[in-house]
Amino acid sequence: MDPNFPTEDIAPIAILMDELRSEDVQLRLNAIHSIPTIALALGPDRAREELVPFLQDSVDDEDEVLLALAEELGTFEDYIGGKEYAHVLLGALENLSAVEETLVRDKAAESITKIAAVLSPSQLEEYYIPLLKRLSHGEWFTSRTSSAALYPAVYAKVSPAIQEELRKGFAALGSDDTPMVRRAAAKWLGPLLTHFSTPHILTDGLPIYRRLQSDDQDSVRLLTVEDLIVIAQRMSPAEVKEQLLKQIRHSIGDKSWRVRYMAANHFNELAEAVGVEIVREELIGQFVQLLKDNEAEVRTAAAGQIPGFSKLLDKEVILARIIPCVRDMSQDSSQHVRAALANQISGLAPLLGRESTIEHLLPLFLQLLKDDFPDVRLNVISKLETVNTVIGIELLSENLLPAIVELAEDKSWRVRQAIIEYIPLLAKQLGKPFFDEQLGNLCMSWLGDTVFSIRESATVNLKKLIEVFGLEWAKVAIVPRVMGMGQHPNYLFRMTTVQAITIISPSLSLEIVQAEIIDPLLQLATDAIPNIRFNVAKALEVLAATYSGTPEGRLLVLRILPALEQLKNDQDADVRYFATRAYQKTGGVS
Amino acid sequence: MPSDLDSQIAQLSRCEPISEAQVKTLCIKAREILIEEGNVQVVDSPVTICGDIHGQFFDLMELFAVGGWCPETNYLFMGDFVDRGFYSVETFLLLLALKVRYPDRMTLIRGNHESRQITQVYGFYDECQRKYGSSNVWRWCCEVFDYLALGAIVDGRVFCVHGGLSPSLASIDQIRAIERKQEVPHEGPMCDLLWSDPDDTITGWGLSPRGAGFLFGADITKNFAHHNALDLIARAHQLAMEGYKLMFDRMIVTVWSAPNYCYRCGNVASILELDEHLGQEYKVFSHAPMDVRSIPTKRPPPEYFL
Repeated sequence: MDPNFPTEDIAPIAILMDELRSEDVQLRLNAIHSIPTIALALGPDRAREELVPFLQDSVDDEDEVLLALAEELGTFEDYIGGKEYAHVLLGALENLSAVEETLVRDKAAESITKIAAVLSPSQLEEYYIPLLKRLSHGEWFTSRTSSAALYPAVYAKVSPAIQEELRKGFAALGSDDTPMVRRAAAKWLGPLLTHFSTPHILTDGLPIYRRLQSDDQDSVRLLTVEDLIVIAQRMSPAEVKEQLLKQIRHSIGDKSWRVRYMAANHFNELAEAVGVEIVREELIGQFVQLLKDNEAEVRTAAAGQIPGFSKLLDKEVILARIIPCVRDMSQDSSQHVRAALANQISGLAPLLGRESTIEHLLPLFLQLLKDDFPDVRLNVISKLETVNTVIGIELLSENLLPAIVELAEDKSWRVRQAIIEYIPLLAKQLGKPFFDEQLGNLCMSWLGDTVFSIRESATVNLKKLIEVFGLEWAKVAIVPRVMGMGQHPNYLFRMTTVQAITIISPSLSLEIVQAEIIDPLLQLATDAIPNIRFNVAKALEVLAATYSGTPEGRLLVLRILPALEQLKNDQDADVRYFATRAYQKTGGVS
Repeated sequence: MPSDLDSQIAQLSRCEPISEAQVKTLCIKAREILIEEGNVQVVDSPVTICGDIHGQFFDLMELFAVGGWCPETNYLFMGDFVDRGFYSVETFLLLLALKVRYPDRMTLIRGNHESRQITQVYGFYDECQRKYGSSNVWRWCCEVFDYLALGAIVDGRVFCVHGGLSPSLASIDQIRAIERKQEVPHEGPMCDLLWSDPDDTITGWGLSPRGAGFLFGADITKNFAHHNALDLIARAHQLAMEGYKLMFDRMIVTVWSAPNYCYRCGNVASILELDEHLGQEYKVFSHAPMDVRSIPTKRPPPEYFL
C-alpha cells in the first residue's frame, strides 16, 4: 500500500483487515457485509485497485464467511465504477467457484451470472468466456461443477462461433467422469436448452440429454426429468413421439424410485408439454403405474397430480382409469398417500359433474372423513366447498352431515376448528329449521369445549349465525343459552359467557341487550374471579361503543358508567386498568 | 407504558426478538417485580400450571391456544423456559414480558435450567450470542433468573416446584428462609428444590443419578403433604410421555409442557387447569403443526436427493 496516503485514507482497509483477523466468526461476517461501506469510503478507483485484489487474494476463511463474500460481490459493480469495470470482480468469484463447499460455489456461480447480465459483448468475450473455459477444464471437479451453471446466462449473447464452442463444452460436462459434474450438467441443461435454436435442440441438446438420461447414477437421471420437459416443450408432438418416447418410458418406469418420484412430481408439466395425443396413448398408462407404485413417496407425489392430469382426459377415461386407482388409494397403507389424496380428490368433482360425483366420489369422501389420521380428515373438510358447488348443499349435507357431526367431536382440536369454520356456510344453505334440528346443539356444545381456541371460534361462529338467521332467532336460540352459562360454578363457563357477549352484542339489538343481557352482565361485574371482572369491563366498553348513538342507547350507557366506576377502584390492578380504559372511552362518547 | 409493553408482547408473539435495549429495560423492570415476591410465591386459583417449555416457542403458542391467552387465563410456569429448543430467547422474553405486563396473572418460578452454568452448555447462551451478537442479553436474563421464586403455593393447598423436595426442608416455611438471589448452588436445599425427582421404587431418600438433588419416595411425599396441609404437589423436570404423570396416590404430579420434546421424542404435553375450587383438569396437547418456521435450518435445506 502506498505509504504516502494519509492514515485516515488507509484506515478503511486496515479496519477490514483487522476485523477479518478476528477470532469471532460473527465479527468476520459483519466485516464482509460492511465491504460496500468500505468501498464507498475508498471511492470507486481505490475500491477497484486495492479492495477487490485484497478480497481476491487474502480472504481464505470459513465457508460461512466465503458465502457472505460471494453474495456481496454479485452486486458490487456500482462500488467499483459501474458496468464497464464489472469484469474486475470475476477473479475473486472464480476462486470462490472452486472451493469445496457447495453452498459457496453455488452462490459464487449465482453472482457470476448476475455480473454476466451487465457485461458488454466484448467484456463477455474477453473475460467471461475464458473464465468459463478455465472452469470447465478445471482439474478438480469443483470448478467443472460450478461451470455448468454459467452457460445459460451468456449463451444467447455471444457470437455463433462461440455458441458452438459452448455447446461442445457443455456436452463434455455431460459426459464427465465425475458424477457430481454430470449432476450439475443435468441440472443446468434445461435452462441452457431454452436458449438453443430449434435445430440445435435436435443436433446438440438431444444427445446430451440422452447421455444423461441413461446415466448409471440415479441422482443424475432424476435431474433429467426437468430437461425432458424443456425439450418436449420445444418439439412438435410428432417429434416427441419419434425422439423421446423411449426416454419418457424409461424415466417414469425407472428402477430407482427417486427418479420415478421426480417424474410423478412433474407429471402435469410433462403431460402438457407432450400434447394430448401422447397423453391419451401413452401417459395415461404410465400415470396409472405411478399411482400404483410400490413406494409410498411416489404414490404421494402422483396423488398430487390427479386433478391436474385428469383435466387433460375425457370424463369416460377418468372414470375408467383414474377412479379405480383413487378408490384403491383411499385405503392406502400410507397415511401420507391418503392425506395427499384427500387434499386433491375434491378437484375431480368439477370434472366428473354432478351424477358421477355422487356415484363415485361421495362414498370416498365419507370413507376419508372417517380416516384414523387427522390430516386426512382435515384435508377433506377444507376442500368441501368445491364439491358443494358441483352437487349442491342438500346432497352434500344429507350424505356428509352424519360424518360432520362425528368430526365435531373429533379428538384433534384442529379438526373441530375446521368444522366450525364450515358451519356458517352450511347454515346458509340448510335453512333455519333443518339447522336447528341438526346442528344447533352442536354449536352450543362447542362453547363448553375443553380447548380455549374452540370456545373462541364457537363465539365467533355464533356471531356469524346471527347474521345469517337474524335477531328473532338469536333471541330464542342463542341468547338464553349463552346467558345461562353465566351462572355456572366453573369460571371458564362464566368467562365464555362474558366473551361471547363481547363478540355477539354488536350483532344484536339494543332491545335484546337491555332485556336479556345487561342485568346478568352487571352481576358478573362483582364476580369473585378478577379475570371475569376485567372481561366484563371489556364487554361493557364494547356495549357502550355500539349503542351510545341513540337516546335509548345513552340510557344503557348510564347504567354502564357506574359499574365501570366501581371496577376502577377494584382491588386487582388488571381490573382497574381495563375498567379505567373502558371508562375513559365510554366517558368520551356518553 | 402498557402500550410499549403491549407492542413488545405482540412482537414476541410473532417470534420476533425485541431489541437489546428493550431487553435491558424489560429485565430491570422484571427484577423490580420479582424482588418483591417470596421464595414461595402465593397464588390464587384459578390458575393453569405448566411444566418445562425448553425454548419450543411454537409449542408454547399451541399451549396458549389450548389454555387461553394471558391475561384471560392465569398462568404458573414451573421453570425450564430455556435451552434445547430453537427459540429460548423469544420464549423466555415473551413470558417475562407477560410477567411484567400482568404481574398478578403470570407466575414464573425457577427451573434447574435457569442457571448460568447450565445455559452455557444446553443452548441458551449460544442462542443469545447468535441472535444479538453479544452475551449481554444472556447476562441480563441470568440476573433475572436469580430473582425468580423457588416455588409457589396455590390457595395454600397446592405446592408447585420445578424439581421436588429436599431432605433439608421439612416445611414450606423453611423454604421461605432461603437466601435465593444467587446462582443455583451445587448442593443444599435450593439446589434440591430444582433438581430432585420422585421415585416409586424407593422409600425415604435416595441418591439422584443426575448428580444433583435427591430421589424421594411415597413416604417422604405424603409426610411433606400432610405436615404442610397440602392437597397436591405439582412439579415438572421429567419428561412424561402422556403429558402428565400422577404418583403416590395422586399426591404428586409431573406436568410436562414440551410436546415432541427436542423435536423428536414423540410425546404429548399437558397443562393442569386448577379451577376456583381447586378442581384439577389436565389438558393434553400435541406439538404445533410442522411448518417451515418450527425448526429453522442454519443453511438453506439441501436439495432433497443430492
